[in-house]
Amino acid sequence: MAAIAENYSLGLQVELGKIDSELKKLWAQSEGAMTRASLVNLAVYSEAPGSLEKNTQLIAKIAENHACRAIVIGADCKTKEDRVEAWISAHCHISRTGSKQICSEQISFLLEGPCTDLLPSIVFSHLDSDLPFYLWWQGEFREPMDRQLWAWVDRVIYDSQTWKDFHAQMRLVESAQMEAKQRIVLCDLNWTRLDRVRFALAQFFDHPASYHRFAKIKNARIEFAPGFRSTAMLFAGWLAAQLNWRVEKTIGGGVLQFLNLSGRKIDIELRERAGEPIGEIILNSPEVEFVVARAKCGDLLEVSRGKPGEKRMPQLMPAGSNDPVSLMSEELMRGGPHHVYLRAVNCVRDLL
Amino acid sequence: MNRAAEQPEPNPLREGLSARAVPQPCIIVIFGATGDLTHRKLIPALYNLAADGDLPPAVAIVGFARREKSDEEFRTELEEATRKFSRQAVRDEIWRTFAQSIFYHQSEFGDEAGYETLAKRLDKIDKECGTRGNRLFYFAAAPDQFEPILKHLKAAGLNETCKGSWARVIVEKPFGTDLASARELNRIVRNSFTEEQTYRIDHFLGKETAQNILVLRFANAIFAPLWNRHYIEHVQITAAETLGVETRAGFYDRTGALRDMVQNHLLQLLCLVAMEPPIDLSSDSIRDEKVKVVRSLRRFAQGEIAANVVRGQYAQGAINGKPVAAYHQEPNVKPASQTETFVALRLYIDDWRWADVPIYMRVGKRLPKSATEISIHFKKAPAVLFSKDLTDQNVLVIRIQPDEGISLRIQAKVPGTSFRIEPVKMDFHYGTSFGKASPEAYERLLLDAMSGDATLFARRDEVEEAWAFIDVIEHTWSAKKDAPGLFFYPAGSWGPDEADDLLARDGRAWRRL
Repeated sequence: MAAIAENYSLGLQVELGKIDSELKKLWAQSEGAMTRASLVNLAVYSEAPGSLEKNTQLIAKIAENHACRAIVIGADCKTKEDRVEAWISAHCHISRTGSKQICSEQISFLLEGPCTDLLPSIVFSHLDSDLPFYLWWQGEFREPMDRQLWAWVDRVIYDSQTWKDFHAQMRLVESAQMEAKQRIVLCDLNWTRLDRVRFALAQFFDHPASYHRFAKIKNARIEFAPGFRSTAMLFAGWLAAQLNWRVEKTIGGGVLQFLNLSGRKIDIELRERAGEPIGEIILNSPEVEFVVARAKCGDLLEVSRGKPGEKRMPQLMPAGSNDPVSLMSEELMRGGPHHVYLRAVNCVRDLL
Repeated sequence: MNRAAEQPEPNPLREGLSARAVPQPCIIVIFGATGDLTHRKLIPALYNLAADGDLPPAVAIVGFARREKSDEEFRTELEEATRKFSRQAVRDEIWRTFAQSIFYHQSEFGDEAGYETLAKRLDKIDKECGTRGNRLFYFAAAPDQFEPILKHLKAAGLNETCKGSWARVIVEKPFGTDLASARELNRIVRNSFTEEQTYRIDHFLGKETAQNILVLRFANAIFAPLWNRHYIEHVQITAAETLGVETRAGFYDRTGALRDMVQNHLLQLLCLVAMEPPIDLSSDSIRDEKVKVVRSLRRFAQGEIAANVVRGQYAQGAINGKPVAAYHQEPNVKPASQTETFVALRLYIDDWRWADVPIYMRVGKRLPKSATEISIHFKKAPAVLFSKDLTDQNVLVIRIQPDEGISLRIQAKVPGTSFRIEPVKMDFHYGTSFGKASPEAYERLLLDAMSGDATLFARRDEVEEAWAFIDVIEHTWSAKKDAPGLFFYPAGSWGPDEADDLLARDGRAWRRL
């Protein structure tokens, strides 16, 4: 059982043509002590040096909550000579009931040189049949996007926070989506990062008696950490898109001005401050201030509403975490299309 | 399921969020706040909801009980219990915030003045915590206390609400001990609260796997054409426990397995298996279909009970190699007790879908393992092609607890040159496929009650119809003349031989669990 990845090694090196037979052997050796589980094909693609080992660690943690067939690909397109290497391994953990070992299998590939063009054929040959195919693309997309590959993808997962040129990257993703006849769902981890704060803010308005406050919102402030301006911008785009505001202009000092349906101006100030990606959100209406802020203990949100300056009883809510395992786990729990995300992007596309 | 229960217009900021809408702010008043249920289930469930961010921003809990204690003492007790029984570890900072809104109100259940001061206290909490006059009264007290509690709640005006707020009552089982007492209980509740305000809790319905029965049946097109008398040969429902009566002997000895389990949990499971598709997922559409199943149960004549219902009581035996005492030797059980700890039944649902399909149910204590499962046994394929002794049939098993999941037994050819056929099992385990732990049934049900969604709660007519069916059996058992016998089974066995005979007479056997 050398391929069982207890210390996040890539596992057992295998010949490319023998991956399936070696996987079979791996499970035969376990003699029923382990249960192979898989709900999704999760392919991870990265061109960063050392990504195979790093992603193996991430997959080991993600697989504890999301059983999958993982296909981890590390590519180096700059090398002139072709080289393909493959490994198989399994990530096992004890089930919640403590009665058995649950294992997800991982196939890892190192691609060097022009053979990186072989990516689709490598991926296609090793998909677990009838299961959805999620592609986690780390880093920037490159032109041309491989039509053959994208036509097979159910969900493409990326993190727009790391993009240098949001416009160009989004154009590539959207054109791939168009070519795939809209089958691909775009999953931006930068959007997932906002899930908990969106939930925390939304719950203030669940009671119909609160709806009238939407029309009275005067201004908002979003504090974000260095490097996470795009995250704050997406949040502003979400508020604007859902509340039917449109962008009027950007004012100096990080202030965006929107117009609501009745033509009233709403300023959203984006303020950079060290800390969590989104540190605090304050939404002001004439009588009530809605606050969602990171609690001192870090992984909780402190949520409160009240008149400015009055004493409040804050509620604590889970804040989620910014690490890739948590973000991926959140993303894998979701389903359905991300229309709201696309609406938010469209609202602030020119500002990103 | 009826998410839109209180949401006439959708909140635009909610769109696309995977988490359900947070219920309205409210005060939860628990009657019987010092009891086991509050400590083991209710407060840990509410804490878990708070920790997951599912509670409204303003929610307060008021414990109502007889014993003298301060808010602080009550909080300390509850913290201790929550640390012991919560499904997730208690975090100090979350507990501190959560506990700020827990209060204790000392009063006798029959003391009118206690309710007047409660009303004043709730108004004060509304002002301080922003709970908006919404009240959820949870009856975790003994059923004989319901009447005085309800009477005084009404006298104090606590059953009434101001415009825009609500008052609801959650009633724990047992909902009566027979049809007459259930009707009386319903009458008492209805004097103070309408049916729409009343939530009768059956924690089996809060289990993820019970809810999944509807998804399995109505979200998978392959099962719909087969789910009827043309393809299903029979159905078995088993609820087995290794435990004896433990600390419930006093209650159990008066109640027995038929009233304790069959009238509520097992019939509820049967409803989910046998109901027609509802027209939508609103609470009344689902409950309308469920009640039709109970109404369609073939009523036994007294003379038919012995042939269709077997009752048993455990005798001395061993569970997991450990000797255990007989039921009548348990503390607080009458030595000559005739209370059944095991029941097996053969039922029929006289409707178009299920006519003449036998439904076998068994429930028992001190059985060899703890498991609640439903199995659908399909008719055999014609044996003309392969062999006349093709004896096995396809069986779809829904495991409610533990090891929640679904399996399907199919026939497969054994590799080799001969044509040998053996059954194999396709098996889905929740725990294997989904790493995330399901919320406890009480979490789901409390949240639903706060949101005004009664789908997973029993309606008055369901409860009364179920009692009408059970009463005939109970009356026959308690008749002075010609009452069917009580059969003894050794603890650690699968019940009395007569339960096996019930199926053997039809050429069948209980599924091996």
